[in-house]
Amino acid sequence: MSSLVGFLSLVFAIGINFYLFLSRYIFKFQKQKFNLFIRFSSLLTLLSFFSLMYAYVVSDFSNYNVFQNSHSNKPLIYKISGTWGNHEGSMLLWLSILSIFSFFFSFTKNIDESFQRLTLIIQSLLHILFGLFIVFTSNPFLVNSILINEGLGLNPILQDPGLAVHPPILYGGYVGYSIVFSIAIAGLFQNTDDEWLYVAKKWSLISWTFLTGGIALGSYWAYYELGWGGWWFWDPVENISLMPWIAGLALVHSLMMVRGEQAIKKWIVFLSILCFSLSVFGTFLVRSGILTSVHSFAADASRGIFILLIFFIVTGFGFLVFLLKEPKKSNALNLLFINKVSALVINNILMIIATLTILLGTIYPIIIEVLYNKRISVGGPYFNATVIPIMIPGFLLMSIAPILSWQTNKIQNSKKYVLGFIILSILVLIQSYFLDFNTWGFVGLLLGFWIILASIIAIFSSYKVKFTIKFVKIINPHIAHIGVGIAIIGITCSSVFQNELDFNLSEGDKFIVNGKTVLFEEIETTNQINFQALRGKFLFNIEKNQSKQIEAGKNYYPVSKMITSEAGILHQWNKDIYFILGDQKDNEWFVKVLINPFVSFIWLGVIIMMYSGLIAVSRR
Amino acid sequence: MKSNHFFKILNIGILSFIFFAFTIFANENIDERVKNLTLELRCMTCQNQSIYDSDAEFSNDIKKIVKQKLQEGESERNIKKFLVERYGEYILFRPLMNYNNIFLWSFPFILLIIGLFFVLIKSKGNKV
Repeated sequence: MSSLVGFLSLVFAIGINFYLFLSRYIFKFQKQKFNLFIRFSSLLTLLSFFSLMYAYVVSDFSNYNVFQNSHSNKPLIYKISGTWGNHEGSMLLWLSILSIFSFFFSFTKNIDESFQRLTLIIQSLLHILFGLFIVFTSNPFLVNSILINEGLGLNPILQDPGLAVHPPILYGGYVGYSIVFSIAIAGLFQNTDDEWLYVAKKWSLISWTFLTGGIALGSYWAYYELGWGGWWFWDPVENISLMPWIAGLALVHSLMMVRGEQAIKKWIVFLSILCFSLSVFGTFLVRSGILTSVHSFAADASRGIFILLIFFIVTGFGFLVFLLKEPKKSNALNLLFINKVSALVINNILMIIATLTILLGTIYPIIIEVLYNKRISVGGPYFNATVIPIMIPGFLLMSIAPILSWQTNKIQNSKKYVLGFIILSILVLIQSYFLDFNTWGFVGLLLGFWIILASIIAIFSSYKVKFTIKFVKIINPHIAHIGVGIAIIGITCSSVFQNELDFNLSEGDKFIVNGKTVLFEEIETTNQINFQALRGKFLFNIEKNQSKQIEAGKNYYPVSKMITSEAGILHQWNKDIYFILGDQKDNEWFVKVLINPFVSFIWLGVIIMMYSGLIAVSRR
Repeated sequence: MKSNHFFKILNIGILSFIFFAFTIFANENIDERVKNLTLELRCMTCQNQSIYDSDAEFSNDIKKIVKQKLQEGESERNIKKFLVERYGEYILFRPLMNYNNIFLWSFPFILLIIGLFFVLIKSKGNKV
C-alpha cells in the first residue's frame, strides 16, 4: 500500500514539474499560483520519500527494496536510515532534498519575480531528470511477487549512528548546489542586475556548510569504524566529496569579492556550474561502482550510464548557456602585489588547481584501465605530494588576506605581523627540536599557528573589540580562518606525530601506554539484537582512582555474515588513545594501540568553520 | 611599499631556509623505513587499504618481506621493483614517475605555471 502511495506521488510530482516547465511557454499563470504548485510538488516528493521510510519502519517486505536492504530485528534508527542505505532510496533522498531546496527558495523575498520563477523552472527541469532516472532505473517501490516474511538485512558497516545521518547532510551539500546552479543559469538568461549574486551567496554558503558537515561526519565515521586509526585516506569517494567542497569554497570567496570587484561575475557563474557538475559527477562515480573504495556499497554499473547521461546533460547545458550568454565584461581586475583582489584571485586559482588535480588523480586509474587495460593505483602519496604543496601558498596568503585592502597594496601594521612571524618561527623550531624533527610536522605546525596568530593580531589591531552581534559578524572571516588553523594543527599532529604500539597479550596482562599502566581485563562475548559482540576490556591508568574503561573488539552480523571492527577510543583533549583488538594466536591477543595527538582539534576546527558558514549566511 | 616587500621576502626566505636545512638531518631507523614504504603499498586483498594499515595475511607477508629486504640493505627502489614484477603496478599507491605517467605528475605543475602567468599578465599595468 505504502509503495503504491509513494510511487504515485512521485510520478504526480514529476508531472507537476513538467507542467510548470511547459507553463513558461504555454499556460501562463500568476506568481502566487506558480509558487503554490512548486510547493505542492515538493510536498508530494517528500510524501513519496516518507512512504518509503514508512515501509522500512514497519518492515513491509512486500516492497522489494525493503526486502533487499532491511531486516525486522534491527533497531529503529537503522530501519529509518536503511531508507537511504541503498541506491534507490538514496536517489529518492537526493530528489527530496532537491525539492526541499526549491520549496524554501520559493519563499525568498525581495527578489525579481521573473528571475525567481526562471530559477524554479530550472529546478523543475532537474527534478524531472532525476525523477525519471528514479522511475525508470532505480524504482524503490517495486513490489515482491511472492509473500516474504524476512528481509536480507542492511550492510552492517552502515549500522552506525554516524553513518545513519551522514548521507542526508552530505546530500544537503551536494544537492544544495543545484539551487546555486539554477540561480546562476537564471542570472545568465536574465542578465539584469547583480541582485542574483547576493542570493547565490546565501545558498552557496548553506550548501557549503552542509557539505562540510557531511564530509566531517564521514571522516569521523571512518576514524572510529574502519579501525585503522586514520580519518582521511584519499579514497576515491572521499576525493569526490572534497572536489565540490574546494570548488564551493572558491565560490564562496569569489562571492565575497563581488563587493569590491565586478569583473569576477563570469568566474562566479563558472564556479556555480562547476560545483553542481562535480556533485552530479560524484554521484555518478559512487553509484556506478567503477571505483574501488572503502565506502562502496550497493553499486550497480548499469545505472551508471543513465547518471552519466544526466551529468552530460546538466554540465553540457550549463556550460553551453555560459558560453552563449556570458556576462558582459565590466572593468578590468584591479590586481596589485598584493591587495585583497589579487590574494583572492590567487587563492581561487590554487583551489581550482587542487580540485582539478584531485579530479585527475581520482579518474586516472579508470582512464588507464580503459586505454591500456592495466590496473594502477593513485593513492595518498600522490595527493600528498601534489595537492598539499599547491595549497601551502594559499594557506600563507589566507593568514593575511582578510586585512588586505581592496584598492592599494599597503598592509596595515605590517611590522606586527613580521615580528609575530619571526617569534612564532623560533618557537616552533625550538619545539620541533625537542620532539623528533619532521619537515612536514614543522611546516604544518608553523602554518597552523601562523594563521591563528595573524587572525588574532588582525582582530585586535583592526577593529575595536565590542561584544555585539555586529562585531561577531565583522570578525567572522577571521574566525573561519582560525578554524582552519586549528584544523591544520590537528591534521599535522595526528598524522605526523602518531605513535604506534603493538602488544601480544593474554587476559590479565598489564602493559604500559603513554606512561600509564593498562590492564587487559578480559575478553567478553555478548549477543545484541542484530549482532554478536566480541570485546576486549581494558582498564587504563589502573594506579589512579580515575581509571577509565576501554572496550575494543569486533562485531559479527549473522544476517549478512560480516565482521566489523570496533575500535576503543579514549578521548582526551590533547590526544586520542586508540585501541584495536586483533586476532588471537596461541592464547594471546594481538593488540594495537595508537596515540593520536590533537585529533580533537580537527573536529573543533571543522565546527568553527561550520559556525562561520552559518554566521556568514545571515550577513549581507 | 617597502615594508610590504620586505615582509614578503622575509616570509618566503625563512620558510624555504628552514624547510631545506632540516630535511638533511632526517634519520630513520628500520621500523620507520618499513612503515614509510608499506604506507605506499596497496593491500591487494583489501578495499583501498595500505599494507601498513592492514592486518590481512597478505599484508603481513609483504611487511615481513619488506623488512627482511631492508635489513639485507636493498634499496627501496629495488624492493618496489620486485613487488611490481610480482603483483603489477596496482600495488603502488604512488604511481611510478615514468614516461607513461608524465601527464599525471606534470599536470598540477603545468596548471600552476599557467595560473602564475595569468596573474602576472592581468596585474601588468596596474600600478599604484
